[in-house]
Amino acid sequence: MAADIVVPIEHEQDIVMARQQGRQLVAEMGFSSTEQTLVATAISEVARNILMYARHGEIVLTALQSENRRGIEVVARDEGPGIANPALALTDGYSTSGRLGLGLPGARRLMDELDLATVPGEGTTVTLRKWAP
Amino acid sequence: MPVPILRQADLLVATIQASLSDQDLVRFRDDLAREIGRARSTGVVIDVTALDVLDSFASRVLRTIAHTARLRGATTVVVGIQPGVALAMVQLGVSLEGIPTALDFEDGIALLRGRRRKKAHEEGAHGG
Amino acid sequence: MASTSSMVFAAPSFMTEMGLTEHDIQRRVQIAGLTSEDLARIRAIRELVERDVGRHADAFFDYLASLTEAKRLFERRDVLERARALKREHLIAMVQGDYGRAYVEERVELAILYSKASLEPRVFLAAFRCLMRSVGAAISARFAGQPGQGFEHYASFEKIAFFDVSLIIDVIVFERERIIHQQQEAIQELSTPVLPVRERTLLLPIIGVIDTARARLLTDSLLRAIRANRARVAVMDVTGVATIDSKTANHLLQTVAAARLMGASVIITGLSPEVAQALVAIGINLERLTTVGDLRGGMELAEEIVRMRTVPRDDVRDEDA
Repeated sequence: MAADIVVPIEHEQDIVMARQQGRQLVAEMGFSSTEQTLVATAISEVARNILMYARHGEIVLTALQSENRRGIEVVARDEGPGIANPALALTDGYSTSGRLGLGLPGARRLMDELDLATVPGEGTTVTLRKWAP
Repeated sequence: MPVPILRQADLLVATIQASLSDQDLVRFRDDLAREIGRARSTGVVIDVTALDVLDSFASRVLRTIAHTARLRGATTVVVGIQPGVALAMVQLGVSLEGIPTALDFEDGIALLRGRRRKKAHEEGAHGG
Repeated sequence: MASTSSMVFAAPSFMTEMGLTEHDIQRRVQIAGLTSEDLARIRAIRELVERDVGRHADAFFDYLASLTEAKRLFERRDVLERARALKREHLIAMVQGDYGRAYVEERVELAILYSKASLEPRVFLAAFRCLMRSVGAAISARFAGQPGQGFEHYASFEKIAFFDVSLIIDVIVFERERIIHQQQEAIQELSTPVLPVRERTLLLPIIGVIDTARARLLTDSLLRAIRANRARVAVMDVTGVATIDSKTANHLLQTVAAARLMGASVIITGLSPEVAQALVAIGINLERLTTVGDLRGGMELAEEIVRMRTVPRDDVRDEDA
């Protein structure tokens, strides 16, 4: 496993940095252009959540290697208010306008795996993984 | 950096650069509202070819821009959504519902003109 | 390193593809278990190996020459000469005591050459054993009165050898898998053609089983083709499709929606009643799709769309309509 890439998220420019780093990482792994965009978009979503709800946090990108598959792991971590109802946050209940909800179901569709760990009042960690086909 | 808004007859055309900040987008919306009034435009073409990611935030802004334009009597068309970006938007579940889209600038203009023709035709047919 | 010319540039990018990072190399060295005693012993036998490097390298190639499986390596004289020269250089490098990135690159380069000559691991290993025996005999002779010492020195040399072999085998395997992967992709592409049949119109005749992998490929091909051909309509004919599972069906719906964002309408033709029912049962709202019974009807509708520049009614619902 290679070194992690840590992108602190404090300003909106950081969102762009995080998704560019993510795109580059998966590009090196041979992800197609479309797949790169899916990953970059997912990173954009979770990074934006950090800014919107926790004001600051970090995105950690890690290259994964399992058997002969390569992949990326995206961890979006913050010490913000946490999510009161995680189960609800993971369902597609809300309208697609995106105003309500955190876009987590959407992010999961863009990636292969999503794990959510959150403690109200303490923070949230969203872990996403995507594997090269 | 502000988004340049150009006039093409009675239409307005704007190309969004990749490095646009949130602030720039809001400024663009206001600039556009003003230009539409000034030019009495009936249509706006927004080219997003340079955007490599169109997330929920960006699409929300686009909808706001289109709504603002509509209030001023202009139809907005978004053009140039890239293949990967289109798929990402669909999977993410963001919607540009309400905003017509076209492949590129040329088709965007054609779409707006076609609608105008169609609308004029319908109004004419109803003895308007 | 005299004659390495063009090949040496292949190694670095190959290594990146394979995931042979600095970290990975260091890990390999650790796994090989090289100690300072090993390095001392290798220094001690250095001159011995260098002195007869040609003979040791020949042991490798002479054995290969006796095997039909290795004949491709002997087909072209320049390739063979190159391989021989590299082998000699490698042997010398093995006893220099520096096993970093440059060392690894040289091995990868040779492995790429072997791979292109279709040298199988079992063949390579058998020949390599001959080389080891040749070196081993020399070491044994040098430490004639002290077999224990002879063994220790050989064992140290062997650690380097195993380090090398693991690299070469991994490269050969990686290359083989990459070729298989490429072939699979080519087959998949052939099975999901996107044909520009008319002005601004694409035809996708789909036959057989569409699984998730194929659906993904289809999406990619279609969206790219829309851009490349400035297509306004894509006719997807599924006459030849017997079943679709829910995952694939959802993926196709996404494809249709994505195409729409690119300004193209998708017309689905040839949907059998069985497949239609199956889709409805899954929960797919067929009204969101433009479907026409047969291909001909679909092409006619496509033509109309392109000609009139109109958008089918059940497509974009917008504020104007």
